Amino acid sequence: MDRATPQTRSIAERLIVIETLRNASPEAAVAVAFPAIDKLRPHLATLMGSGGVRALVGRSLALATTEVPWLRAVQVDTAGNLERLVALRGHLDPAEFLEGRVVLLARLLGLLVAFIGPSLTSRLVGEVWPQVPPKDRDFGKEQDREKAK
Amino acid sequence: MKKPSKKAKTALPKAVERRSARVKILDLPTGVRGLDEILGGGVPEFSFNLIGGSPGCGKTTLVHQLAFANATPKRPALYFTVLGEPVIKMLRYQQQFSFFDDAKVGEAVRFINLSDLVLEMDLNAVLEEIIAQVTAANAGVVVVDSFRSLARKVTSAVGELEVQSFIHRLSQFLTSSEATTFLVGEYVPEEIRDNPLFTMVDGILWLSQVTERNSVVRKLQVMKLRGQASVPGLHTIRITDDGLQAFSRTLGLEIAKPRPSKRKRLSVGISELDQMLGGGVIEGDSLLVAGPSGTGKSALATQFIAEGLRQGEPGIMVIFEERPDGYIQRAEAFGLKLAAAEKKGTLETLYLRPLDLSVDETMLAILDAIKRVGAKRVVIDSLVGFEMALAPGFRADFRESLYRMIGALTGAGITILSTVEVEDNFTSLQFSHYAISFLTDDIVRLRYVEIDGQLRKTMVVIKMRGGNHSKDIREYVITNRGVVVIHPRRTDYSKLSTGIPKRTGPRRAQANEIPPEAKAID
Repeated sequence: MDRATPQTRSIAERLIVIETLRNASPEAAVAVAFPAIDKLRPHLATLMGSGGVRALVGRSLALATTEVPWLRAVQVDTAGNLERLVALRGHLDPAEFLEGRVVLLARLLGLLVAFIGPSLTSRLVGEVWPQVPPKDRDFGKEQDREKAK
Repeated sequence: MKKPSKKAKTALPKAVERRSARVKILDLPTGVRGLDEILGGGVPEFSFNLIGGSPGCGKTTLVHQLAFANATPKRPALYFTVLGEPVIKMLRYQQQFSFFDDAKVGEAVRFINLSDLVLEMDLNAVLEEIIAQVTAANAGVVVVDSFRSLARKVTSAVGELEVQSFIHRLSQFLTSSEATTFLVGEYVPEEIRDNPLFTMVDGILWLSQVTERNSVVRKLQVMKLRGQASVPGLHTIRITDDGLQAFSRTLGLEIAKPRPSKRKRLSVGISELDQMLGGGVIEGDSLLVAGPSGTGKSALATQFIAEGLRQGEPGIMVIFEERPDGYIQRAEAFGLKLAAAEKKGTLETLYLRPLDLSVDETMLAILDAIKRVGAKRVVIDSLVGFEMALAPGFRADFRESLYRMIGALTGAGITILSTVEVEDNFTSLQFSHYAISFLTDDIVRLRYVEIDGQLRKTMVVIKMRGGNHSKDIREYVITNRGVVVIHPRRTDYSKLSTGIPKRTGPRRAQANEIPPEAKAID
């Protein structure tokens, strides 16, 4: 079974930490289950429309469920929002919940790398999170992806 | 001295003033090799253009090249996508081209998807979004791809007049914003007459694919370009790793300079033939060597190039039939050191036979090689092979294309030797299948002649546009020195040009030749 690459996992973890710290207030934490994807979504929608985002997030979720079974309970709405994530958080161990989000975001980033390449994906992440320096959003080279296959 | 009248004094400055006050339209580079020349300099700044044609012609690639060539962080290119190819796929494919600069994406080149707006809202909302984005970004280039999808959706909902009004408002806003716009759409030629869009835009670049037998050739036509003298007609385009490349159908002719009145004579590398030509071929002439297979046309061409190299004149050999290594090997056997010249960079051999070339592409390849080596002599061996290398669709235009090519090259002061294979029919003296003699300044005809039980070779100068030439029919052989003219004019035969001459003088005793002549191999 193929898994999210360590590179994309590491970047996903970093982005989730940034957004968790930014949404540290209890109110925000309750309302938003996955701020990193919420922040990425409008940028993706500008590029590919809501239908495109929905398709991409849906595929990421499908891939992520092979690694994290509890994600099967999550659904994607027409705008690409992740439904039932907030509700599920209460029933899961925080580490388990974090792992699910890391894998899901890593899969989404991995899909972007597969479609538009490491360089453009890195630029996109840099646009959304300018505080992340290029070396910390290095998705490697296309050859690395081929080797990993 | 008579003073100019008051009227005369004022009339001229006013005219000058009017002229100098005219607006200067700046041209944007297209980023497509060869296209700026076709457009008459580039795309007029602030113009509102349509790039139309059927699927697969290269519209999206063309517009990406335009965007990447002109986008800067201060004046970015906004690429609006509407219900066409998903951006994620577009980025995936377009980044394979060398013009695609990752560093520009996001800042200088921005992709904005309008599909949701088009599907859910009305035309005003679409226009407002474009206005908001263009204003916020201070865009210099705007692309709407596919504009046809947008127009089709709104036409079904609101009617044609509103679409026309939308286009008008869009054009007005974008021009006022000093943006150069490209609307991309899949249209068919039949729509041009009835669709108001075609009237409203400043420029129309029409891309098409022409299929003939197994060959497909992409074409570009500038149907309209306000404010600019573009080159009319259908121009070949090719999609390479660098994106689109355009080949003007008049490429080279505009740059052709009038030949200087005093031109020197160049040796063809065979002293007797030089004498027959009245002292050599005239610099900047086009010399055609016509003859049947095995008469030494290629050998003669090689000697012509080798002589040029000896005289310090770099050369190009464009060969269509024989492989370059074989060509060079034969030359070496003649004692002509072409391999060394190739290494030195004074000789380049172009081997062109992909079977779907256009003359314009060939021309560009030759012109590029000429620039690279600073060539003074060019060999085209042979015109028959050249024709075979062309896509079938171009063969009908072969003569016209050849005329343009030879005109452009000789106009640039290059001396050309072309070979053409003709059949000896032993009843008449044919120059070539193509009736191309009008294209050439000079013609040398090689042919077989039956003499004394041998099939011998003769040559004759048929035509020499720039001066007098020998009328003699001379016998030659091909030895390990190449083509060597041997006997003086034979006066003991008549009807040599038929190939079956009649003896008019006494028969002389001759020893048998085994073999009759030395061959230039090994």
